Amino acid sequence: MNRNYLIFDIRRTLRNRRVLIFSILMPLVLFAIFGMTLPKDASEGGISAIAYVMVSMAMFGSMSAAMSSGGVIAAERDGGWNRTLRLTPLKPQAYVVNKVILSLLLAIPPLLVVFAFGMMFGHVHLSIGQWMTVALVSWLGALPFAAIGLVIGYIAKPDSVQPITGLSTMLIAAFGGLWLPVDQMPSVMKHIAQLTPAYWTGLTSRSALTQGGIDTQALLVVLGWTVVLGFIGLRRFRADTARA
Amino acid sequence: MGRDERSRGCRAPSDKLLGMTTTTAVSLRGVTKKYASVQAVAGVDLTIRAGEVVALLGPNGAGKSTTIEMLLGLVKPDNGTVQVYGGSPTDAIAQGQVGVMLQSGGIIEDAKVGELLNLVAGLHRDPMPVQEALERAGIADLTGRTMKALSGGQKQRVRFAMAIIPQPDLIVLDEPTTGMDVESRRDFWASMHEETARGRTVLFATHYLEEADSYADRVVLMRNGKVVADGTAAQIKASVSGRTIRATIPGADLAALASLPGVRNVETRGEVVLLQCADSDNTLRHLLENTTAHDIEVTSADLEDAVLAISAAQEETLA
Repeated sequence: MNRNYLIFDIRRTLRNRRVLIFSILMPLVLFAIFGMTLPKDASEGGISAIAYVMVSMAMFGSMSAAMSSGGVIAAERDGGWNRTLRLTPLKPQAYVVNKVILSLLLAIPPLLVVFAFGMMFGHVHLSIGQWMTVALVSWLGALPFAAIGLVIGYIAKPDSVQPITGLSTMLIAAFGGLWLPVDQMPSVMKHIAQLTPAYWTGLTSRSALTQGGIDTQALLVVLGWTVVLGFIGLRRFRADTARA
Repeated sequence: MGRDERSRGCRAPSDKLLGMTTTTAVSLRGVTKKYASVQAVAGVDLTIRAGEVVALLGPNGAGKSTTIEMLLGLVKPDNGTVQVYGGSPTDAIAQGQVGVMLQSGGIIEDAKVGELLNLVAGLHRDPMPVQEALERAGIADLTGRTMKALSGGQKQRVRFAMAIIPQPDLIVLDEPTTGMDVESRRDFWASMHEETARGRTVLFATHYLEEADSYADRVVLMRNGKVVADGTAAQIKASVSGRTIRATIPGADLAALASLPGVRNVETRGEVVLLQCADSDNTLRHLLENTTAHDIEVTSADLEDAVLAISAAQEETLA
Protein backbone atom coordinates (compact mmCIF):
# COMPACT_ATOMS: atom_id res chain seq x y z
CA MET A 1 0.00 0.00 0.00
CA ASN A 2 1.13 3.54 -0.70
CA ARG A 3 -0.53 6.21 1.45
CA ASN A 4 0.29 9.09 -0.91
CA TYR A 5 -1.29 7.24 -3.77
CA LEU A 6 -4.38 6.41 -1.72
CA ILE A 7 -4.89 10.07 -0.79
CA PHE A 8 -4.44 11.00 -4.45
CA ASP A 9 -7.08 8.46 -5.51
CA ILE A 10 -9.51 9.58 -2.82
CA ARG A 11 -9.20 13.21 -3.88
CA ARG A 12 -9.82 12.26 -7.48
CA THR A 13 -12.89 10.23 -6.53
CA LEU A 14 -14.30 13.02 -4.41
CA ARG A 15 -13.91 15.35 -7.38
CA ASN A 16 -15.61 12.97 -9.82
CA ARG A 17 -18.67 12.71 -7.64
CA ARG A 18 -20.68 10.66 -10.14
CA VAL A 19 -19.75 7.25 -8.73
CA LEU A 20 -20.25 8.37 -5.16
CA ILE A 21 -23.60 10.02 -5.80
CA PHE A 22 -24.88 7.11 -7.86
CA SER A 23 -23.84 4.53 -5.28
CA ILE A 24 -25.63 6.48 -2.54
CA LEU A 25 -28.67 7.77 -4.40
CA MET A 26 -29.65 4.57 -6.14
CA PRO A 27 -30.07 2.42 -2.99
CA LEU A 28 -31.66 5.33 -1.18
CA VAL A 29 -34.35 5.72 -3.84
CA LEU A 30 -34.94 1.96 -3.96
CA PHE A 31 -35.16 1.87 -0.17
CA ALA A 32 -37.71 4.68 -0.23
CA ILE A 33 -39.81 2.88 -2.83
CA PHE A 34 -39.61 -0.72 -1.60
CA GLY A 35 -38.84 -0.25 2.10
CA MET A 36 -40.55 2.85 3.40
CA THR A 37 -43.86 1.83 1.90
CA LEU A 38 -43.95 -1.39 3.96
CA PRO A 39 -46.17 -1.58 7.04
CA LYS A 40 -44.12 -0.94 10.19
CA ASP A 41 -45.08 -4.21 11.80
CA ALA A 42 -44.40 -6.46 8.80
CA SER A 43 -41.55 -8.89 9.29
CA GLU A 44 -39.45 -11.16 7.14
CA GLY A 45 -37.33 -14.02 8.49
CA GLY A 46 -37.50 -12.79 12.07
CA ILE A 47 -36.55 -9.18 11.43
CA SER A 48 -38.70 -6.22 10.53
CA ALA A 49 -39.37 -5.98 6.82
CA ILE A 50 -38.13 -2.38 6.67
CA ALA A 51 -34.82 -3.33 8.31
CA TYR A 52 -34.56 -6.25 5.89
CA VAL A 53 -34.92 -3.96 2.86
CA MET A 54 -32.63 -1.36 4.44
CA VAL A 55 -29.79 -3.85 4.81
CA SER A 56 -30.31 -5.19 1.28
CA MET A 57 -30.22 -1.72 -0.26
CA ALA A 58 -27.19 -0.68 1.78
CA MET A 59 -25.45 -3.82 0.53
CA PHE A 60 -26.45 -2.97 -3.02
CA GLY A 61 -24.96 0.51 -2.68
CA SER A 62 -21.70 -0.65 -1.15
CA MET A 63 -21.42 -3.38 -3.75
CA SER A 64 -21.80 -1.02 -6.71
CA ALA A 65 -19.36 1.45 -5.12
CA ALA A 66 -16.79 -1.29 -4.54
CA MET A 67 -17.08 -2.54 -8.11
CA SER A 68 -16.57 0.95 -9.55
CA SER A 69 -12.80 0.69 -9.04
CA GLY A 70 -12.78 -1.46 -12.18
CA GLY A 71 -13.52 1.62 -14.28
CA VAL A 72 -10.60 3.47 -12.72
CA ILE A 73 -8.21 0.58 -13.33
CA ALA A 74 -9.32 0.09 -16.95
CA ALA A 75 -8.94 3.81 -17.71
CA GLU A 76 -5.50 3.95 -16.11
CA ARG A 77 -4.33 0.90 -18.04
CA ASP A 78 -5.58 2.36 -21.29
CA GLY A 79 -3.92 5.72 -20.70
CA GLY A 80 -0.51 4.12 -20.20
CA TRP A 81 -0.46 5.18 -16.56
CA ASN A 82 0.62 1.66 -15.58
CA ARG A 83 3.69 2.08 -17.78
CA THR A 84 4.53 5.27 -15.94
CA LEU A 85 4.16 3.47 -12.63
CA ARG A 86 6.45 0.70 -13.81
CA LEU A 87 9.08 3.39 -14.32
CA THR A 88 8.90 4.35 -10.63
CA PRO A 89 10.03 2.37 -7.59
CA LEU A 90 6.35 1.62 -6.71
CA LYS A 91 5.80 -2.11 -6.37
CA PRO A 92 3.04 -3.36 -8.69
CA GLN A 93 1.36 -5.17 -5.79
CA ALA A 94 1.03 -1.86 -3.96
CA TYR A 95 -1.11 -0.59 -6.83
CA VAL A 96 -3.53 -3.50 -6.49
CA VAL A 97 -3.69 -3.23 -2.71
CA ASN A 98 -4.41 0.49 -3.08
CA LYS A 99 -7.31 -0.09 -5.45
CA VAL A 100 -8.82 -2.70 -3.12
CA ILE A 101 -8.56 -0.28 -0.20
CA LEU A 102 -10.13 2.43 -2.37
CA SER A 103 -13.02 0.06 -3.16
CA LEU A 104 -13.55 -0.64 0.51
CA LEU A 105 -13.49 3.07 1.35
CA LEU A 106 -16.00 3.84 -1.40
CA ALA A 107 -18.26 1.14 0.05
CA ILE A 108 -18.62 3.02 3.35
CA PRO A 109 -20.74 6.09 2.40
CA PRO A 110 -23.69 4.12 0.89
CA LEU A 111 -23.85 1.94 4.00
CA LEU A 112 -23.79 4.89 6.39
CA VAL A 113 -26.28 6.98 4.44
CA VAL A 114 -28.81 4.18 3.97
CA PHE A 115 -28.51 3.10 7.61
CA ALA A 116 -28.90 6.70 8.81
CA PHE A 117 -31.94 7.10 6.57
CA GLY A 118 -33.45 3.89 7.97
CA MET A 119 -32.78 4.99 11.52
CA MET A 120 -34.26 8.46 11.08
CA PHE A 121 -37.13 7.90 8.71
CA GLY A 122 -37.65 4.14 8.54
CA HIS A 123 -38.27 3.53 12.23
CA VAL A 124 -35.57 0.89 12.35
CA HIS A 125 -34.64 0.53 15.97
CA LEU A 126 -31.48 -1.35 16.81
CA SER A 127 -29.07 -1.26 19.72
CA ILE A 128 -25.77 0.51 19.17
CA GLY A 129 -24.07 -2.87 19.25
CA GLN A 130 -26.36 -4.16 16.50
CA TRP A 131 -25.79 -1.09 14.35
CA MET A 132 -22.04 -1.52 14.73
CA THR A 133 -22.17 -5.22 13.94
CA VAL A 134 -24.41 -4.86 10.91
CA ALA A 135 -22.28 -1.99 9.59
CA LEU A 136 -19.04 -3.92 10.01
CA VAL A 137 -20.38 -7.14 8.52
CA SER A 138 -21.94 -5.26 5.60
CA TRP A 139 -18.66 -3.49 4.99
CA LEU A 140 -16.77 -6.79 4.87
CA GLY A 141 -19.43 -7.93 2.41
CA ALA A 142 -17.92 -5.41 -0.04
CA LEU A 143 -14.74 -7.50 -0.23
CA PRO A 144 -15.80 -9.94 -2.99
CA PHE A 145 -17.08 -6.99 -5.01
CA ALA A 146 -13.80 -5.13 -4.63
CA ALA A 147 -12.25 -8.27 -6.14
CA ILE A 148 -14.81 -8.24 -8.98
CA GLY A 149 -13.85 -4.60 -9.63
CA LEU A 150 -10.25 -5.73 -9.96
CA VAL A 151 -11.15 -8.52 -12.39
CA ILE A 152 -13.27 -6.17 -14.53
CA GLY A 153 -10.55 -3.52 -14.46
CA TYR A 154 -8.02 -5.95 -15.90
CA ILE A 155 -10.36 -7.54 -18.45
CA ALA A 156 -12.49 -4.69 -19.80
CA LYS A 157 -11.58 -1.94 -22.21
CA PRO A 158 -12.32 1.59 -21.02
CA ASP A 159 -15.24 2.09 -23.40
CA SER A 160 -16.94 -1.12 -22.30
CA VAL A 161 -16.13 -1.00 -18.61
CA GLN A 162 -19.13 1.16 -17.63
CA PRO A 163 -21.78 -1.06 -19.25
CA ILE A 164 -20.05 -4.22 -18.00
CA THR A 165 -19.91 -2.88 -14.44
CA GLY A 166 -23.47 -1.53 -14.59
CA LEU A 167 -24.93 -4.71 -16.01
CA SER A 168 -23.10 -7.05 -13.66
CA THR A 169 -24.04 -4.90 -10.66
CA MET A 170 -27.72 -5.08 -11.59
CA LEU A 171 -27.70 -8.79 -12.43
CA ILE A 172 -25.87 -9.75 -9.24
CA ALA A 173 -28.12 -7.52 -7.11
CA ALA A 174 -31.37 -8.70 -8.73
CA PHE A 175 -30.56 -12.41 -8.88
CA GLY A 176 -28.80 -12.30 -5.51
CA GLY A 177 -32.02 -11.15 -3.86
CA LEU A 178 -30.91 -7.66 -2.86
CA TRP A 179 -33.73 -5.91 -4.68
CA LEU A 180 -36.51 -8.38 -3.87
CA PRO A 181 -36.30 -11.02 -1.13
CA VAL A 182 -35.58 -14.41 -2.66
CA ASP A 183 -38.25 -15.96 -0.44
CA GLN A 184 -40.87 -14.05 -2.41
CA MET A 185 -39.62 -15.52 -5.69
CA PRO A 186 -40.18 -18.96 -7.23
CA SER A 187 -37.93 -21.61 -5.72
CA VAL A 188 -35.78 -21.89 -8.86
CA MET A 189 -34.78 -18.29 -8.23
CA LYS A 190 -33.49 -19.24 -4.82
CA HIS A 191 -31.16 -21.76 -6.42
CA ILE A 192 -29.92 -19.17 -8.86
CA ALA A 193 -29.50 -16.64 -6.04
CA GLN A 194 -27.21 -19.00 -4.18
CA LEU A 195 -24.81 -18.88 -7.09
CA THR A 196 -24.21 -15.15 -6.59
CA PRO A 197 -21.97 -13.64 -3.91
CA ALA A 198 -24.66 -11.02 -3.19
CA TYR A 199 -27.03 -13.64 -1.80
CA TRP A 200 -24.45 -14.62 0.80
CA THR A 201 -23.37 -11.09 1.69
CA GLY A 202 -27.04 -10.15 2.14
CA LEU A 203 -27.60 -13.23 4.30
CA THR A 204 -24.56 -12.44 6.46
CA SER A 205 -25.54 -8.81 6.97
CA ARG A 206 -29.17 -9.54 7.81
CA SER A 207 -28.14 -12.27 10.22
CA ALA A 208 -26.51 -9.55 12.30
CA LEU A 209 -30.03 -8.29 13.05
CA THR A 210 -31.44 -11.61 14.27
CA GLN A 211 -31.23 -13.17 17.69
CA GLY A 212 -29.16 -16.08 16.36
CA GLY A 213 -26.15 -13.88 15.58
CA ILE A 214 -23.96 -13.89 12.49
CA ASP A 215 -24.60 -16.69 10.02
CA THR A 216 -21.09 -18.16 9.97
CA GLN A 217 -21.82 -20.45 7.06
CA ALA A 218 -22.84 -17.46 4.92
CA LEU A 219 -19.80 -15.54 6.13
CA LEU A 220 -17.54 -18.40 5.06
CA VAL A 221 -19.11 -18.43 1.61
CA VAL A 222 -18.47 -14.67 1.34
CA LEU A 223 -14.83 -15.19 2.28
CA GLY A 224 -14.62 -18.07 -0.20
CA TRP A 225 -15.91 -15.80 -2.97
CA THR A 226 -13.36 -13.17 -1.93
CA VAL A 227 -10.50 -15.65 -2.16
CA VAL A 228 -11.58 -17.05 -5.54
CA LEU A 229 -12.29 -13.65 -7.13
CA GLY A 230 -9.16 -12.17 -5.57
CA PHE A 231 -7.13 -14.98 -7.08
CA ILE A 232 -8.61 -14.38 -10.53
CA GLY A 233 -8.00 -10.64 -10.16
CA LEU A 234 -4.38 -11.21 -9.18
CA ARG A 235 -3.81 -13.55 -12.11
CA ARG A 236 -5.19 -10.95 -14.52
CA PHE A 237 -3.00 -8.33 -12.87
CA ARG A 238 0.09 -10.54 -13.20
CA ALA A 239 -0.62 -11.21 -16.86
CA ASP A 240 -1.08 -7.51 -17.45
CA THR A 241 2.15 -6.49 -15.73
CA ALA A 242 4.17 -9.18 -17.45
CA ARG A 243 3.03 -7.99 -20.85
CA ALA A 244 5.14 -5.32 -22.41
CA MET B 1 15.77 0.10 3.73
CA GLY B 2 16.67 3.67 4.54
CA ARG B 3 17.21 6.13 1.76
CA ASP B 4 20.67 6.73 3.17
CA GLU B 5 21.75 3.38 1.82
CA ARG B 6 21.40 4.67 -1.65
CA SER B 7 24.75 5.29 -3.18
CA ARG B 8 24.98 8.56 -5.00
CA GLY B 9 28.73 8.27 -5.33
CA CYS B 10 28.74 7.44 -9.01
CA ARG B 11 26.51 10.29 -10.12
CA ALA B 12 27.43 11.93 -13.34
CA PRO B 13 27.89 15.49 -12.02
CA SER B 14 30.62 14.42 -9.59
CA ASP B 15 32.29 12.44 -12.35
CA LYS B 16 32.49 15.58 -14.41
CA LEU B 17 34.01 17.49 -11.55
CA LEU B 18 36.61 14.81 -11.07
CA GLY B 19 37.29 14.68 -14.76
CA MET B 20 36.28 11.04 -15.00
CA THR B 21 33.90 9.99 -17.71
CA THR B 22 34.47 6.29 -17.45
CA THR B 23 31.21 5.31 -15.73
CA THR B 24 28.99 3.38 -18.08
CA ALA B 25 25.38 4.50 -17.83
CA VAL B 26 23.84 2.15 -20.37
CA SER B 27 25.16 -0.96 -22.00
CA LEU B 28 23.29 -3.01 -24.59
CA ARG B 29 25.02 -6.14 -25.91
CA GLY B 30 23.68 -8.10 -28.86
CA VAL B 31 20.12 -7.16 -28.04
CA THR B 32 17.36 -8.50 -30.29
CA LYS B 33 13.58 -8.43 -30.19
CA LYS B 34 11.08 -9.99 -32.55
CA TYR B 35 7.35 -9.26 -32.62
CA ALA B 36 5.49 -11.98 -34.50
CA SER B 37 7.28 -11.94 -37.86
CA VAL B 38 8.81 -8.49 -37.47
CA GLN B 39 12.40 -8.26 -36.28
CA ALA B 40 12.01 -4.95 -34.42
CA VAL B 41 15.56 -4.94 -33.08
CA ALA B 42 18.14 -7.04 -34.91
CA GLY B 43 21.24 -7.04 -32.74
CA VAL B 44 22.09 -3.71 -31.12
CA ASP B 45 25.30 -2.95 -29.26
CA LEU B 46 25.32 0.41 -27.58
CA THR B 47 27.31 1.87 -24.73
CA ILE B 48 26.43 5.22 -23.27
CA ARG B 49 28.91 6.77 -20.87
CA ALA B 50 27.86 8.95 -17.97
CA GLY B 51 27.43 12.57 -18.99
CA GLU B 52 26.80 11.91 -22.68
CA VAL B 53 23.83 13.42 -24.49
CA VAL B 54 22.83 10.90 -27.13
CA ALA B 55 20.22 11.24 -29.86
CA LEU B 56 18.64 8.06 -31.14
CA LEU B 57 17.68 8.92 -34.67
CA GLY B 58 15.78 6.95 -37.25
CA PRO B 59 12.55 6.62 -39.20
CA ASN B 60 9.39 5.00 -37.87
CA GLY B 61 9.89 1.29 -37.46
CA ALA B 62 13.66 1.62 -37.11
CA GLY B 63 13.50 0.01 -33.66
CA LYS B 64 14.08 3.14 -31.54
CA SER B 65 11.09 2.69 -29.27
CA THR B 66 11.66 -1.04 -28.79
CA THR B 67 15.30 -0.35 -27.95
CA ILE B 68 14.24 2.23 -25.38
CA GLU B 69 11.60 -0.09 -23.95
CA MET B 70 14.20 -2.83 -23.48
CA LEU B 71 16.61 -0.36 -21.94
CA LEU B 72 13.91 0.57 -19.41
CA GLY B 73 12.95 -3.02 -18.66
CA LEU B 74 9.44 -2.58 -20.06
CA VAL B 75 10.17 -5.19 -22.72
CA LYS B 76 12.33 -8.27 -22.30
CA PRO B 77 14.86 -8.79 -25.10
CA ASP B 78 14.85 -12.15 -26.90
CA ASN B 79 18.64 -12.22 -26.80
CA GLY B 80 21.44 -10.13 -25.41
CA THR B 81 21.97 -8.22 -22.20
CA VAL B 82 20.84 -4.83 -20.99
CA GLN B 83 22.59 -3.09 -18.14
CA VAL B 84 21.87 0.30 -16.62
CA TYR B 85 24.53 1.52 -14.21
CA GLY B 86 25.87 -2.00 -14.05
CA GLY B 87 22.60 -3.59 -12.95
CA SER B 88 19.23 -4.48 -14.36
CA PRO B 89 16.99 -1.67 -15.64
CA THR B 90 14.45 -2.53 -12.94
CA ASP B 91 17.06 -2.08 -10.22
CA ALA B 92 18.21 1.23 -11.67
CA ILE B 93 14.60 2.42 -11.74
CA ALA B 94 13.98 1.21 -8.18
CA GLN B 95 17.03 3.24 -7.18
CA GLY B 96 15.59 6.34 -8.82
CA GLN B 97 18.54 6.54 -11.20
CA VAL B 98 16.40 6.79 -14.32
CA GLY B 99 13.90 9.49 -15.27
CA VAL B 100 11.67 8.77 -18.23
CA MET B 101 9.56 10.95 -20.47
CA LEU B 102 7.23 8.91 -22.61
CA GLN B 103 5.99 10.17 -25.93
CA SER B 104 2.28 10.07 -25.12
CA GLY B 105 -0.07 8.81 -22.46
CA GLY B 106 1.34 7.87 -19.11
CA ILE B 107 -0.60 10.49 -17.22
CA ILE B 108 -3.97 10.63 -15.47
CA GLU B 109 -6.28 12.92 -17.36
CA ASP B 110 -8.61 13.81 -14.47
CA ALA B 111 -5.78 14.65 -12.06
CA LYS B 112 -4.46 18.14 -11.45
CA VAL B 113 -0.89 18.96 -12.40
CA GLY B 114 0.16 19.58 -8.80
CA GLU B 115 -1.50 16.39 -7.55
CA LEU B 116 0.13 14.27 -10.22
CA LEU B 117 3.60 15.61 -9.52
CA ASN B 118 3.14 15.28 -5.76
CA LEU B 119 2.14 11.68 -6.32
CA VAL B 120 5.09 10.87 -8.55
CA ALA B 121 7.48 12.63 -6.15
CA GLY B 122 6.04 10.52 -3.34
CA LEU B 123 6.78 7.31 -5.24
CA HIS B 124 10.49 8.10 -5.52
CA ARG B 125 13.10 7.74 -2.83
CA ASP B 126 14.93 11.02 -3.15
CA PRO B 127 12.78 13.42 -5.18
CA MET B 128 13.42 17.08 -5.75
CA PRO B 129 10.86 19.48 -4.26
CA VAL B 130 7.76 19.51 -6.47
CA GLN B 131 7.90 23.29 -6.74
CA GLU B 132 11.42 23.07 -8.16
CA ALA B 133 10.36 20.52 -10.77
CA LEU B 134 7.40 22.72 -11.75
CA GLU B 135 9.67 25.72 -12.16
CA ARG B 136 12.32 23.87 -14.12
CA ALA B 137 9.67 22.56 -16.48
CA GLY B 138 8.15 26.04 -16.75
CA ILE B 139 4.70 24.98 -15.51
CA ALA B 140 4.61 26.57 -12.05
CA ASP B 141 1.52 28.51 -13.13
CA LEU B 142 -0.36 25.34 -14.14
CA THR B 143 -0.37 23.58 -10.75
CA GLY B 144 -4.13 23.79 -10.26
CA ARG B 145 -5.08 22.87 -13.82
CA THR B 146 -6.56 19.50 -14.70
CA MET B 147 -4.44 17.46 -17.10
CA LYS B 148 -7.12 17.10 -19.74
CA ALA B 149 -7.43 20.90 -19.94
CA LEU B 150 -3.79 21.25 -21.02
CA SER B 151 -2.43 21.64 -24.54
CA GLY B 152 -0.18 18.97 -26.02
CA GLY B 153 2.91 21.06 -25.36
CA GLN B 154 1.90 21.72 -21.75
CA LYS B 155 1.31 18.01 -21.17
CA GLN B 156 4.79 17.31 -22.50
CA ARG B 157 6.15 19.76 -19.94
CA VAL B 158 4.33 17.89 -17.19
CA ARG B 159 5.89 14.66 -18.48
CA PHE B 160 9.25 16.40 -18.46
CA ALA B 161 8.73 17.46 -14.83
CA MET B 162 7.81 13.84 -14.02
CA ALA B 163 11.07 12.72 -15.64
CA ILE B 164 13.34 15.04 -13.64
CA ILE B 165 11.57 14.75 -10.28
CA PRO B 166 13.48 11.62 -9.16
CA GLN B 167 16.75 13.57 -9.66
CA PRO B 168 17.87 10.84 -12.02
CA ASP B 169 21.37 10.26 -13.32
CA LEU B 170 19.96 9.21 -16.66
CA ILE B 171 17.05 10.85 -18.47
CA VAL B 172 15.40 8.92 -21.28
CA LEU B 173 13.04 10.79 -23.59
CA ASP B 174 11.02 9.16 -26.34
CA GLU B 175 10.34 11.76 -29.03
CA PRO B 176 9.87 14.50 -26.45
CA THR B 177 8.85 17.31 -28.79
CA THR B 178 6.28 15.48 -30.91
CA GLY B 179 3.23 17.69 -31.26
CA MET B 180 4.96 20.85 -30.04
CA ASP B 181 5.06 24.03 -32.07
CA VAL B 182 8.40 25.61 -32.92
CA GLU B 183 8.44 27.93 -29.94
CA SER B 184 7.54 25.21 -27.42
CA ARG B 185 10.25 23.04 -28.90
CA ARG B 186 12.83 25.75 -28.43
CA ASP B 187 11.67 26.37 -24.85
CA PHE B 188 11.71 22.66 -24.17
CA TRP B 189 15.27 22.27 -25.32
CA ALA B 190 16.29 25.29 -23.28
CA SER B 191 14.93 23.54 -20.16
CA MET B 192 16.59 20.35 -21.26
CA HIS B 193 19.87 22.15 -21.71
CA GLU B 194 19.82 23.13 -18.02
CA GLU B 195 19.56 19.44 -17.15
CA THR B 196 22.43 18.39 -19.39
CA ALA B 197 24.49 21.27 -17.99
CA ARG B 198 24.09 19.58 -14.60
CA GLY B 199 25.92 16.62 -16.07
CA ARG B 200 22.97 14.29 -16.43
CA THR B 201 23.21 11.58 -19.01
CA VAL B 202 20.51 11.95 -21.64
CA LEU B 203 19.19 9.61 -24.30
CA PHE B 204 16.49 10.95 -26.55
CA ALA B 205 14.77 9.46 -29.55
CA THR B 206 13.77 11.89 -32.24
CA HIS B 207 12.55 12.29 -35.80
CA TYR B 208 13.93 15.79 -36.00
CA LEU B 209 17.42 15.86 -37.43
CA GLU B 210 18.00 19.42 -36.32
CA GLU B 211 17.35 18.40 -32.70
CA ALA B 212 19.93 15.66 -32.95
CA ASP B 213 22.31 18.10 -34.64
CA SER B 214 21.87 20.91 -32.12
CA TYR B 215 21.47 19.14 -28.79
CA ALA B 216 23.27 15.81 -28.91
CA ASP B 217 26.96 15.13 -28.31
CA ARG B 218 26.47 11.91 -30.15
CA VAL B 219 24.04 10.66 -32.76
CA VAL B 220 23.09 7.01 -33.04
CA LEU B 221 21.32 6.31 -36.30
CA MET B 222 19.06 3.28 -36.40
CA ARG B 223 17.49 1.59 -39.35
CA ASN B 224 15.74 -1.77 -39.69
CA GLY B 225 16.53 -2.65 -36.10
CA LYS B 226 20.24 -1.98 -36.36
CA VAL B 227 22.64 0.82 -35.54
CA VAL B 228 23.91 2.03 -38.92
CA ALA B 229 25.90 5.05 -37.79
CA ASP B 230 27.23 6.21 -34.44
CA GLY B 231 29.28 9.33 -33.81
CA THR B 232 29.10 13.07 -33.38
CA ALA B 233 26.86 14.92 -35.81
CA ALA B 234 30.02 16.29 -37.45
CA GLN B 235 31.45 12.81 -37.92
CA ILE B 236 28.27 11.55 -39.48
CA LYS B 237 28.10 14.52 -41.84
CA ALA B 238 31.73 13.98 -42.78
CA SER B 239 31.01 10.38 -43.71
CA VAL B 240 29.19 11.77 -46.72
CA SER B 241 31.81 13.55 -48.75
CA GLY B 242 31.18 16.05 -51.48
CA ARG B 243 28.97 19.05 -51.97
CA THR B 244 25.83 19.99 -53.78
CA ILE B 245 25.79 22.64 -56.50
CA ARG B 246 22.49 24.31 -57.16
CA ALA B 247 22.27 26.47 -60.30
CA THR B 248 19.75 27.82 -62.76
CA ILE B 249 20.71 26.51 -66.20
CA PRO B 250 18.17 27.19 -68.98
CA GLY B 251 18.16 24.34 -71.50
CA ALA B 252 20.71 22.31 -69.59
CA ASP B 253 22.09 19.18 -71.23
CA LEU B 254 21.49 16.81 -68.31
CA ALA B 255 23.26 13.84 -69.89
CA ALA B 256 26.37 15.92 -70.44
CA LEU B 257 26.27 17.22 -66.87
CA ALA B 258 25.85 13.72 -65.49
CA SER B 259 28.88 12.51 -67.41
CA LEU B 260 31.17 15.16 -65.92
CA PRO B 261 33.92 13.65 -63.77
CA GLY B 262 32.94 13.52 -60.11
CA VAL B 263 29.24 14.19 -60.61
CA ARG B 264 27.27 11.57 -58.73
CA ASN B 265 23.75 12.62 -59.28
CA VAL B 266 21.74 15.18 -61.29
CA GLU B 267 18.29 16.39 -60.40
CA THR B 268 16.19 19.13 -61.92
CA ARG B 269 13.45 21.33 -60.55
CA GLY B 270 12.31 23.30 -63.54
CA GLU B 271 15.35 25.20 -64.75
CA VAL B 272 17.13 24.65 -61.46
CA VAL B 273 19.69 21.87 -61.56
CA LEU B 274 21.04 20.11 -58.47
CA LEU B 275 24.42 18.42 -58.90
CA GLN B 276 25.92 16.19 -56.26
CA CYS B 277 29.62 16.20 -56.80
CA ALA B 278 32.74 14.74 -55.29
CA ASP B 279 34.81 17.61 -56.66
CA SER B 280 32.62 20.68 -56.72
CA ASP B 281 35.43 23.06 -57.76
CA ASN B 282 35.98 21.30 -61.07
CA THR B 283 32.27 21.00 -61.79
CA LEU B 284 31.81 24.67 -60.97
CA ARG B 285 34.59 25.66 -63.36
CA HIS B 286 32.93 23.68 -66.14
CA LEU B 287 29.52 25.23 -65.45
CA LEU B 288 30.87 28.78 -65.58
CA GLU B 289 32.96 28.23 -68.70
CA ASN B 290 30.64 26.11 -70.82
CA THR B 291 27.06 26.82 -69.74
CA THR B 292 24.76 29.75 -69.03
CA ALA B 293 24.47 28.72 -65.37
CA HIS B 294 23.61 31.52 -62.97
CA ASP B 295 22.38 31.95 -59.36
CA ILE B 296 24.86 29.31 -58.30
CA GLU B 297 24.97 28.02 -54.70
CA VAL B 298 27.39 25.47 -53.30
CA THR B 299 26.43 23.69 -50.07
CA SER B 300 28.07 20.94 -48.08
CA ALA B 301 26.06 17.97 -46.90
CA ASP B 302 23.93 18.51 -43.81
CA LEU B 303 22.90 15.85 -41.38
CA GLU B 304 19.82 15.10 -43.42
CA ASP B 305 21.88 14.36 -46.54
CA ALA B 306 24.16 12.19 -44.48
CA VAL B 307 21.28 10.27 -42.98
CA LEU B 308 19.70 9.80 -46.39
CA ALA B 309 22.97 8.65 -47.90
CA ILE B 310 23.65 6.20 -45.09
CA SER B 311 20.10 4.91 -45.28
CA ALA B 312 20.31 4.50 -49.05
CA ALA B 313 23.59 2.60 -48.71
CA GLN B 314 21.94 0.40 -46.12
CA GLU B 315 19.03 -0.31 -48.47
CA GLU B 316 21.46 -1.35 -51.21
CA THR B 317 23.26 -3.75 -48.89
CA LEU B 318 19.94 -5.33 -47.97
CA ALA B 319 18.91 -5.59 -51.62
